[in-house]
Amino acid sequence: MKPVIRARRLGKIFRNGSVAVNGLDLQIQQGEVYGLIGRNGAGKTTALKLLAGLLRADSGEAEILGRSLWNAPREHRQRIAYVSQGQQVPEWMTLEDLGRYASHFYDHWDPALLQEQARRWDIPMGTAVNKLSGGNQRLAALCVAMAARPEVMLLDEPAAGLDPVARRELNGCLIQALLRVEGCTILLSTHLLGDLERLATKAGILDRGRVVAEGSVEDWQRTMRRVQVVFAEPEPPRDFAIPGAIKSVSLGPVVTALARIIDPQQLDGVRQRPGVRVNVFPLTLEELFVDWFSDSASHARGEPAASHSWRETVTAVGNP
Amino acid sequence: MATQLHLQLDERSGVPVYRQIMDQIKYYVAGGTLRPGDQIPSIRELAGTMSVNPTTVVKAYTELENEGIIEKRHGKGAFIAPRAHALSVTEQEQALRRSAKQLAVEATQLQVPSPKVITVVREELGALSSEKHGDESPTSFSIVRNTQVTGN
Repeated sequence: MKPVIRARRLGKIFRNGSVAVNGLDLQIQQGEVYGLIGRNGAGKTTALKLLAGLLRADSGEAEILGRSLWNAPREHRQRIAYVSQGQQVPEWMTLEDLGRYASHFYDHWDPALLQEQARRWDIPMGTAVNKLSGGNQRLAALCVAMAARPEVMLLDEPAAGLDPVARRELNGCLIQALLRVEGCTILLSTHLLGDLERLATKAGILDRGRVVAEGSVEDWQRTMRRVQVVFAEPEPPRDFAIPGAIKSVSLGPVVTALARIIDPQQLDGVRQRPGVRVNVFPLTLEELFVDWFSDSASHARGEPAASHSWRETVTAVGNP
Repeated sequence: MATQLHLQLDERSGVPVYRQIMDQIKYYVAGGTLRPGDQIPSIRELAGTMSVNPTTVVKAYTELENEGIIEKRHGKGAFIAPRAHALSVTEQEQALRRSAKQLAVEATQLQVPSPKVITVVREELGALSSEKHGDESPTSFSIVRNTQVTGN
């Protein structure tokens, strides 16, 4: 099946020389909800803007529904909704004005859906957007995006600045969009990994402009574990490695690893070593994310992290 | 009569969402809250009320069907299967056995004698049940049956 959202070797270097997106590859199929996660400055916003056609790529390709949005005609662009992180709607307009204004640009504009959504979120239709709270301004922008009945939604940190109740409502509405619009595809960047566990089918970790790990959220949760091995001796044997470890840190007799446990018997060999204790902990996405990036003391020193791949094992002696 | 399930997700558990849905439905079945023939919410309904991706619910229901806990009736929805109770009790025992095995391995590693292990388990069970009695709040699961009350 042809992916709905596709990026190939996508690159963007800003005028000041900073490399924001660096060889990004992305393939998102129809109906998927894909979560892009990464630290601040990893390139999430730039990647979304390149896909949305708001920035021109320096290299590579970005396509949605089969073509680049940079030079796409209105008929094509209207099939895709993009909601940016900052304020994106003319703030002196009311939601009602906005609806009327937007209805001219979208063939499938659904005024009833806008009203329904606004009512559900308790956003007054007749109040100027800049008189609304910050959270409601974001929700207003999302109302407008959803009323266009897009086939694809690109959402940059949609839940940022929302209180837990509004966040829950936002999640609910995205789910409604999935249920309502046959095969709606959503790409969102987020820091709220708990939400992602509910929403996303797939997630990718973005690090310095490229996806360094990608997988189904369920698969990660089922297989990724924090494994701790405690030796009776003051130090582990020199050649010791935890099977399936992606990265590991040792401190005295304790070896802790972020490991992929596919087979429950994978650690039997370690368990059978005399005097060895093995603890296995499940990880939330958030913990996985933190473990992934806390590879050494380099972050604490403000240095960029070493680049990783699934196969690479970074061994460092960390601080307790 | 449709049974409306109130399932809770623990975002801090690290357990996949589809697994949490499966486990809670099984828990209801094992506890007798859901009985054979009871209808469970449709995929759309559950996805909507829980705010989870519909494909996750599809996955949970498909696995439950494969395990014989639920059955889909064409055009009518999903129901608790006739043999579900027996199955999920077996399942419970298997889960218990897995944990017990892990405990046995650890106890052996730590060279703890068997009687001591049994004593510890007994003590922990005792502590847990007294905790339960002391705590007035219900368990994290609750179920609401959407019954049309007609004169009853």
